[in-house]
Amino acid sequence: MRDSFSSATPILLAALGGTFTYYANVFNIAMEGMMLIGAFFGVLGSYLFQSWAMGMLFAVISGAVVALIFSAFALSLKTDEFLTGIGINMLALGGTTYLLRNIFDVKGAFISPRIESLPTWDIPILNQIPILSQILNNHPFIVYVSILLALLLEVIIFHTKFGLRLRATGEDPETTRSLGINPNKMKFTSILLSGILSSMGGTYLSLGYVTLFSENMSNGRGWISLAIIILVKGRPLGILLMSLLFGFFESVTFTLQNFNIPPQITSMLPYLITLVVLFLYSSNKSKEEK
Amino acid sequence: MKSLNKILTGIVGIALSFLAAAVLIKLQGNSPIDAYRALFNYGLASWFSLSSTLNNATPLILTGMSAAIAFSSNVVNLGEPGQLIVGALTAALLGYYLPIPGVLGIFVILIISGIIGGLYGGLAGVLKKYYKMDEFITTLMLNFIADYLTLYLATYPFLDEKSYVPATHMIKREFFLPTINGINISFFIAIFMVFVSFFVVTYLKKGYEWRMMGHNYDFSKIGGCKNEENLIWVMFYTGFLSGLAGALLILGGTQHRFIKGIGANYGWDGVMLAIVGGNGVIETSVFAVFFGFLKAGGIGMEFEVFIPSEFTMVLQAIIVLLVVSTRSTISYYSDKIKASLKAKRVVKSSD
Repeated sequence: MRDSFSSATPILLAALGGTFTYYANVFNIAMEGMMLIGAFFGVLGSYLFQSWAMGMLFAVISGAVVALIFSAFALSLKTDEFLTGIGINMLALGGTTYLLRNIFDVKGAFISPRIESLPTWDIPILNQIPILSQILNNHPFIVYVSILLALLLEVIIFHTKFGLRLRATGEDPETTRSLGINPNKMKFTSILLSGILSSMGGTYLSLGYVTLFSENMSNGRGWISLAIIILVKGRPLGILLMSLLFGFFESVTFTLQNFNIPPQITSMLPYLITLVVLFLYSSNKSKEEK
Repeated sequence: MKSLNKILTGIVGIALSFLAAAVLIKLQGNSPIDAYRALFNYGLASWFSLSSTLNNATPLILTGMSAAIAFSSNVVNLGEPGQLIVGALTAALLGYYLPIPGVLGIFVILIISGIIGGLYGGLAGVLKKYYKMDEFITTLMLNFIADYLTLYLATYPFLDEKSYVPATHMIKREFFLPTINGINISFFIAIFMVFVSFFVVTYLKKGYEWRMMGHNYDFSKIGGCKNEENLIWVMFYTGFLSGLAGALLILGGTQHRFIKGIGANYGWDGVMLAIVGGNGVIETSVFAVFFGFLKAGGIGMEFEVFIPSEFTMVLQAIIVLLVVSTRSTISYYSDKIKASLKAKRVVKSSD
């Protein structure tokens, strides 16, 4: 159970970032790349300054820069969003591996005692309650931040002016333009926010979950986030629930390995679950239509 | 005209990306001129480098074509990596266990591996037709599943105990595809498939239906095409191409066995190629050869100028982004200029 929360966090953060772009009608498949870049620069910042805060800062800046590149191509140069996303993902995968070799001179994974991992939080009231304390207490603080963020997003998107404008941009950019809102600006903001949140998710992977960077360590989590967003139609609370479900299955993966089930089989679980959830969801929907 | 346009904008985009990459190389403290000279020497300058460029291009031609045909039919097949790896494993196993000798055996292996790849792709099509599952997500998830499944099979049931990494047994020597003057036969098989695909898409009724489906989904439905059935066929055919790419990697490559990490990135490169080539079968193949050149030359850059070969991946991504953006920018702004010129004419004539 405890691991469920850890495993859910990176997926949750990226998916929450993706909700912004989802409502702004930007097809953002670059989350995978944004996560990977966040993971790398988180480690780089933490290594250089021996401080997790600098790691976080590096990651957020790098996420913002990737978002800038994405917007430059997709919004200013009118490149297809789908293609831009694939390009960014390739750039992230090649770029981080390249930098890993160039800066640290290693292939595969980089581990160093100089990397400082994210601090954990001891929550005052929670540590009094016996079982809940074991499950919920002493996680890296991002875990709590991301859960709060999910609740906050529900409010932002459905109950604020910004959320309304964001959704309007997604629905009909021309009408919003006539109301004096620049749809491109709204789209840019959504991409920027998704870049920052996805890269934070990546940092959690490299500084919270473990304390290292390895090639392609996001390993499809960005894609799963995207699948979740599409499944729950962008509802932040739905995303929270689904992420926890996936986190649960990912942690089951580790438990199953203790029972002599080959790791390759258990590693398939999250992806199989995605298909099963999609299957249940689609067959329900087609029944309703009939 | 249209395909000439695609190639011209492609060249402009490539030139721009080489300039951008030169800046990156310079920033790293290397000489871009030396780097590009090494790239050229190892990718084109001699018969040996040319043949390694072509050999590198072989799987890319097939996966690129696979993605291109799917995209132009409005089917999002992102499952090339999975289909390729499933085909590769099939070929590796058949190559070890198949009792049919010689050329006939090679033929059988290629066909069966392609069909397995096709079935793997078709699975996504079936899920879409009967359960309305978005093929964008299913093909992606099937990639990861194929990855782990093949790795499992190579690690446990079919492991060659003598190897140090998870790998299957080496295939029989009689199934090795020979080379002609350094160019592996698999390249010619890929080129043959280019012609087959071009024929299918351009001249066959099915291919016409596929293209109509991509052009206007509803129109083709009203016109009597069975879109949902065609979707499965597109998935099967494009999966077949990717599976074949995997089989050729085993029979025509250098390892002749299924090893962990084989075919890494070939599938995704195919998707990018289709995009750069504007979903044309021929254009995509041309760019595939160019990417093969980058791969072959990238090794040169690593040897001579000590630029890690991963840099070619970065270069490829830059090229994809810049080529596509050059094309879309040019068409977007030229449309805009045309429109404003037209507006001016209308205003003048009404005066």
